Amino acid sequence: MKTILQIEDNRANRILVERVLEPYDYRLIQAEDGESGVSMALEEKPDLILLDMGLPDVDGQTVVTLLRQIPELKDVPVVAITAWPEETAVEMAERYGCDGCIIKPINVKTFPNEIAAYLE
Amino acid sequence: MDLVPASKFTYEELTHAYNQTRVDYLVPMPMNVARLKEYSRVYDIDLDSSVVVVDWENDNLIYGLGMLGVRGDRGWITRLGVLPFGRRMGIGGQLMDGLIASAARLRLAQIWLEVIKDNDPAHRMFRRYGFVETRELVVARRPPNPEDRPNIEDRVKRVTPLNHEDAIILLSHRQERANWLNQTKSMQNVYNLSGLLVELHDGGRGWVTYHAGLLQITRIIVEVTVGDPTEVTATVLQVLHQRYKRQDAIAENMCDDAQWLGFQQAGYFESFRRIEMVKEMLK
Repeated sequence: MKTILQIEDNRANRILVERVLEPYDYRLIQAEDGESGVSMALEEKPDLILLDMGLPDVDGQTVVTLLRQIPELKDVPVVAITAWPEETAVEMAERYGCDGCIIKPINVKTFPNEIAAYLE
Repeated sequence: MDLVPASKFTYEELTHAYNQTRVDYLVPMPMNVARLKEYSRVYDIDLDSSVVVVDWENDNLIYGLGMLGVRGDRGWITRLGVLPFGRRMGIGGQLMDGLIASAARLRLAQIWLEVIKDNDPAHRMFRRYGFVETRELVVARRPPNPEDRPNIEDRVKRVTPLNHEDAIILLSHRQERANWLNQTKSMQNVYNLSGLLVELHDGGRGWVTYHAGLLQITRIIVEVTVGDPTEVTATVLQVLHQRYKRQDAIAENMCDDAQWLGFQQAGYFESFRRIEMVKEMLK
């Protein structure tokens, strides 16, 4: 079973992703801020990280910077989840070495397919 | 609903409310309690003059908040926001009235603020309250690139590291009016500021001051004292990033000028823009 780590401070957004991915055969783990997200990533070695770019302690850009410098995690796909305007979000994700970005609010119909594609 | 000083609430309550105001914001920028405390300290936020709209009869429900920084006869409105369930109820106006009343009580001559570019409803509201645009400011990022090895040895004659006190002296002699975030007073309030004075073989000269954290380089300010503003800025920043190869970098509230081009040459890109606005209180 593939493990997905969601790093997201907003409870409603965590619940939404939980509900949307519930029918699928994934193990979803969640962290509320950047620091606990990186710790959890180190412990769990997820197959995919869904990273909110606006976090309360360190922002998503800095989290992905750190993840890319940790040998055990540097190849784990990271998808930025952000409410930024699409053009900015895409540029930010590319420059920081994310594997892609999904604009908030997530589209609950297409989200599972997007996740499946990143996991391939 | 009542308008009350923010000092009636704990930082935990203010942080929670602030984060709720930003859940659907253009640039969310949530904070934790430690960051809000640090923010208040660095930017001289006066919680007695900052305001919260609260419904005491409904379990002390906070509808919105706005903070006022105070330095001498100048004020700065920041962290202003209304929680989603309080929108379109005039809460924003109530907060602005309260903050302007605080400024008047403190006999402030000017109030500054910044609004994120394209946040049109907030921008329009500030105009209605007599705020006038002064300039557009760039917020930029630079992801680390440990493999990047710019050939700067040929250009750089000498690099002199500066401590916090030296950095503050340089900052206090800047020619251009600094934005509230980058004022010398803000930087004085930051612990462990560092700097580099860079001299080039062609006579160019410039300096950078910054705060180096484990993960981030922040509070970056560059000034060129001799030479081409773009080229010297780029070289000064390349010197900085050769020393901090693994840190992410954030430069806030720069003017869109020749120096910004130098930042771009050094690998920075625009994250978003703010519009600085000022209201004259004595007119």
